[in-house]
Formats: sequence, C-alpha cells, structure tokens
Amino acid sequence: MAVAVAVEYVHAASLVLDDLPSMDDAQRRRGRPALHRAHGVATAELAAVALLARAFEVLAGAGGFSAASRARVLGELAVAVGASGCCAGQAADLAAEPANVGLDDLEAIHAQKTGALFVAAVRGGALAGSAGERTLAGLTRYARNLGLAYQITDDLLDREGDAEAMGKDTQRDGHRANFATILGAESSHRLVHELLDAALQALPLPSRSGVLADLARVVRDRRS
Amino acid sequence: MTRPTLEEARARLRELGYLDAGVGRILFRPVFEGRGGEWLPAIGLGAVAAALGSVAAIEASEPGLASFAPAAVIFLHLFAANLLPASLLAALLSPLADRSRAPGAAATAAGLAAAAGVFALWILGTWSLEREVSMRALLWGIPLSAAALYLAAAVRLAFLARAFARSGALPGKAARRIFVAAAAAGVLVAAFLFLSRSEPQPVPAPQPSPRPTPILVLAIDGLDLDGPGRPPAVAELLAGGAAGWWPAPRSTPPELWTDLASGEPARRHGVRALTRVRAAGSPQSFRPPLGTSWYFRRLGPLLRLVTSAPVSGADRRRLDFWEVAASAGIPSLAVDWWASAPWPGATVVENRVVLSESKNGVDADRIATARFDAQSARAFGVSTLYLPGCDIERDDAVARQAAVAGVLRVLEAAVSRARRGEAALIVLAADSHPRTSSALARMIVFDGAPAARTVRIRAEDVAPSILARAGVPVAQDLPGRPAAGLFAPGTLESATVPTYGARIVPPGSSAPESDREYLEKLRSLGYLK
Repeated sequence: MAVAVAVEYVHAASLVLDDLPSMDDAQRRRGRPALHRAHGVATAELAAVALLARAFEVLAGAGGFSAASRARVLGELAVAVGASGCCAGQAADLAAEPANVGLDDLEAIHAQKTGALFVAAVRGGALAGSAGERTLAGLTRYARNLGLAYQITDDLLDREGDAEAMGKDTQRDGHRANFATILGAESSHRLVHELLDAALQALPLPSRSGVLADLARVVRDRRS
Repeated sequence: MTRPTLEEARARLRELGYLDAGVGRILFRPVFEGRGGEWLPAIGLGAVAAALGSVAAIEASEPGLASFAPAAVIFLHLFAANLLPASLLAALLSPLADRSRAPGAAATAAGLAAAAGVFALWILGTWSLEREVSMRALLWGIPLSAAALYLAAAVRLAFLARAFARSGALPGKAARRIFVAAAAAGVLVAAFLFLSRSEPQPVPAPQPSPRPTPILVLAIDGLDLDGPGRPPAVAELLAGGAAGWWPAPRSTPPELWTDLASGEPARRHGVRALTRVRAAGSPQSFRPPLGTSWYFRRLGPLLRLVTSAPVSGADRRRLDFWEVAASAGIPSLAVDWWASAPWPGATVVENRVVLSESKNGVDADRIATARFDAQSARAFGVSTLYLPGCDIERDDAVARQAAVAGVLRVLEAAVSRARRGEAALIVLAADSHPRTSSALARMIVFDGAPAARTVRIRAEDVAPSILARAGVPVAQDLPGRPAAGLFAPGTLESATVPTYGARIVPPGSSAPESDREYLEKLRSLGYLK
C-alpha cells in the first residue's frame, strides 16, 4: 500500500507541474480548474515539491518489507522521477521541434515521461512483495508496453476526446508531435491494441486475471 | 521527416523492447505477421491432455500398466493418436473464431469445451472399462486438471488470436478463474462418480446345494436348429425341451459368448473385439481408448507402430459360469470357450489351444469334442463345450454341411445322455454372424422329461439359469435372473448371494510371437480379415 500511495503522490505532483504555464499551460484538470489557476503558480510549485517529498517520506517509513527492498524501491522511484525519468522526458518534450520528431524521439519522450513511472509503480509493488527477478522482468515488460499504450491513448484522446468527459483541455497537443500525428489515428489505435496485448501476455500467469490485467483493459476502454 | 508505416513502427518498437511478450510471440505474433500457426500450442496441449486422460482410463482397467515404462510408451502413442482429433477440432474452431462477434465469450466457451472433452475422455473411458474403479484412478485428476487448465488457456488464446487478426479486438476479461473452477468441477464430478463405485475385493465363494444330476451345457455357434434334415434326437430336443429365445445381437464371437457365459454385458465383462492392440515398445496389450481407433487399428499397424494381440482370458473381468461353479466347489469342465483361461477347481481347455490345432471349422469341432470326451471319465458337476465349426464354415456350403453333421452327432449323443438321466442338458444356440437382423438365439433345456414350453428370456438370464440349475446361489448384482419357466419346479436354487465379485487376474502378458501365430490362425479360419 505504501508503494501505491507514494507513486500516487509522485503522479499528482507530475500533473501539477505538467499543467503549469511554463509547461502545458493547462486550464483544467479532472473537471476542475488546474491548481495554478485556483491557487497561483507559486502555490502549485510548492505543492508539487511537497507531494514529491511526501512520497519519499511515506516510502521511507513503510513497514512490511525488508530494508533492502525498501531501499531498492526508493531508488527506483527516484530514478523514475529524476534526470533520466519524468523530468528528462518532460524536458525533451518541451524542447522538441514537432517537424523533426521521429518515432525514436517520441518513444524516448514517452518512455521517460510516462513509462518510467509505470515501470516504477509496477516494479515497486512487486519488490514490496518480494517478487523474483523473472517475475520482475515480465512485469517490467508489462509496464513498458502499458505505459506506451497509455501515452498513445492519451494523444488520441487529446485529438478525438470530449473535453467535458475528460475533465481537461483537449486538442492542445495538435502542435506537438505524437503518435497520432506521426502514424495516423487508425494505425495508432491498432498499435495501442498490440501494445496492450503484449502487456497482458507479458504478465506472469498468476497475474493474468488480476488487477494488472484489469488495468490494461481500463486503458483499452479509456474514454477520458 | 518521413512518416513511418505501421509495420515499420511495429518493427522499431520491437527493437526498442516493446511488443515482445514471451507467450505473445508464440500465439499472437504469427497472426500479426500473417503466418498462422496460432493453433499449434493448443493442438499439442490437446494431444497431451487427451493422452493423459486415455492413459488414466487404460490404467484403471489394465493391471499390467501399473509400472512407469509401459505407461510412458503408451502415452507417447496416445499423444500421436490424439494429434489428428486435436487438429480437426482446431480446424473447426478456426472459422468460428474468424466469424465470432463476441470472441471473448466464444473463446472462453471453446476453452471450456476442450477441457470438458479431456475430462470426458478420462471419466467415460474409466467408466466404460471397469465397474470397480481403483482409487488410484482419482489421482490422475491432478495431472489431468493441470493439462486441462493449460489446454483451456491455449485454446482460448488461439481463438482470440484468430479473432484479433480479423478485428483487432483485445481479449475480453481473462477467464482463468472460470477455467480453474471448471477443472475443480471436473475433478469433483470424477470423485463423485468414482467414489460411488467400489474397489474390487475378493468375495466369499457361494455355497451350493448339491444336485443329483450334473449339468451339460452345449454351446453351438452358427447352427440353425430349425433347418432341414434334423436327426430324431434333435427333433426330440426341440419338441420335448423347454426353449427360451431372445433377439440375437450383432457382436463379435468373443463378446456374444462371453455375454452368455458371464451373464454380464460387455461393458462389464470387458471382452469385445477379437483383438486388442499392443503399442510398439510396450509388452502390454489393451483396448484402444475412445477416439484413438484410427491410430491403433489403422495407421499404427500400417506404420508398424502397433500390432494386434488376440483377446484372452486376461481381458475378462467377470466370472464365467463354470468359474463360479468351480469356486463354489463344483468340479467343472469348460472346453473351447472364447476368452477362457485356467481357473482353480475347473478344468479348462482354452479356445486358443483348440483353434491353434485346427485347420478348419470341422477340425475345430472335432478337436474340441475329442478334448471334451477325453475328460468325461471324470465326474464334473458342470461341463460345457463350445462348438464353433458351423460359424467358421458359414461361407463354404460343403464344409458347413460337414460341420453341421458333426455338431448334430454331438447333439444326438448329448440328448441320449439326458434321456438316460445322466445329465441335465442345456443347449445354447446362437449365431456370431447372423445373416438377418431378426435372427434369434435360443437356450433349450432338456431335463429328460418332456416340457415343450417356449418363453421369451433375455441373454443375461442364461448364466444365472445354468448356475441355479447347478445348485449355485445366484448373485443379486447380475442383471439377469434364472428363467424359471424353462425348468421343472424345485430344480432351481432359490438362495442368492450379493455378488460373485470381479474376476481379479494378475498382471501379465502373452508373448508377441505366439500371439502372432494365433492371430494368423484366426485369420485363416475367417475370424479376421
């Protein structure tokens, strides 16, 4: 549970930062005004930092798994957030020239910006449960495929989705490179299915009908 | 910048470590790439699971299969035998998957059906082979459940992969819990069925009431007693004896005559075909399990992977009437009966011994009669002789005439003995190869005194009638009852016993070389094509 709470804190912080005027400059989030719109940019930045700190605080104080596992989870989460994770992905995304972005660049952005946190979340839970390396490898494949599928779906929803249903601004990424613009909508939809299927197939057998498989289906059925 | 195609994007993402799940590679990737082959794992697992179910069924009824080596060899043959049915099922399911509008539910149903088929092979196979099921049969449920689970998953995935190729729709909710529940239900059903039966146990021998006159049972195959040229003794037998009749079923000679001798149907006594099969590499012969005859009876022999073994007394799971009588302490003699074998207290001349020395049907009857007469100096309470000559010569008019003449001579002598009060004569006349579907079989009782009655009886009443007339209490678990209408009042034993028990035979196997010679003999006598 501590791993899940910590990841959710990190996720919330990333959303707050992503919505800032210096980043996506989003007006709405989850059907309500974005945090910086409601309380100002400074408060939003401080809240994001506080959320990040709280995430590591929760993890550091968590019981129920060994000190070695806890240290490993902390390290992996830190990497996922830091200079080779979300921060790197966001920086690359902001710096990218849409006309020059290719598939590899896009994959790298998504892998760092979104995929890294998916991987950290799944591996963190598995490490807390003392999973073996083989299981971890399968779960990592699952998380990478799921993360990319999620991000492509996000791009597609930004292009096709209903702002009201999504609770956030849409069609804001049209000027940015994404899978939908590079491959087209139909091919992107197909790729999402294939990635989700690969994610499901990568799950170790006992997890095939569990919450992780359900999560892949949530992404598949996602409309908002 | 050039926009990549979907195929290029896929290829690049695979290089980057996506779209590369282990099982997905096996099942889905061939579909993505239009190569097919998504059913191969399901076919392989189907053959493995079906082979497991079939080995379990054989193991339940074949005492000699208890050791690992023959079971493993037979498993390999059964795996090969089940590849074809599994492939056919896959070929049937594939177009269904292509057209399915709800592939998730349909795939789960297909997986469940495949698992149910495996359980059915096990349960029905075990059920049909032996009434008393060893508790060990239930232990097969463990590997079988695992195999059925994997089979169900493989069938479901293959079905979904096909559907995916058409629609691009992802699998529905995973059905693992459903499959686990189905496997558990299969084992529970098997447990209920198997536990409702009993382990074969030795039972006490029935205690007979001594009868003053011995019983002589003459079994004649293929003779029409109503035909022309009957000698006076036969006319007397028909006119003065009490006759019971029943519709003659179409079956093999061993099955037909073992039905009569044991009073049990084939599914309980176990003797059916003239031959069993022996898989290359295993000394054990067995009856091919459900759905595998195409391999064990056709392809296997062609490829020299399977040979035949003649039916024998070791195949029989129920006691013939002379064995019951011998167990009850009544000295008994049986000559030339199908699937007969040595039995304590009984003098048995096996059908294999007689036929091996015979050149034709006339010869067979002559040798059988000579063997029977050679023993007649001894006092037997129950003696019986089976004469197959008329049946063997059914297609040769001249030889058949000679065989009929020989049988009538034996019959005449038997009627004379009965008339003199030396024995109670029971004649069983049936045809292993009836020319019409309306053929009748008969049991004629000639106790010396004229009776002249004709009543409808059942085939399963024959053995209880003979035993009751010999003074042996009849087992209540036999499906038939003594045909009281054919016997004089007071001559039948009225006491009963719960059961005679199963015929427990020790594990063993005959030598393939001598089996081959015997099969050649059966072929030359026209029993085998």
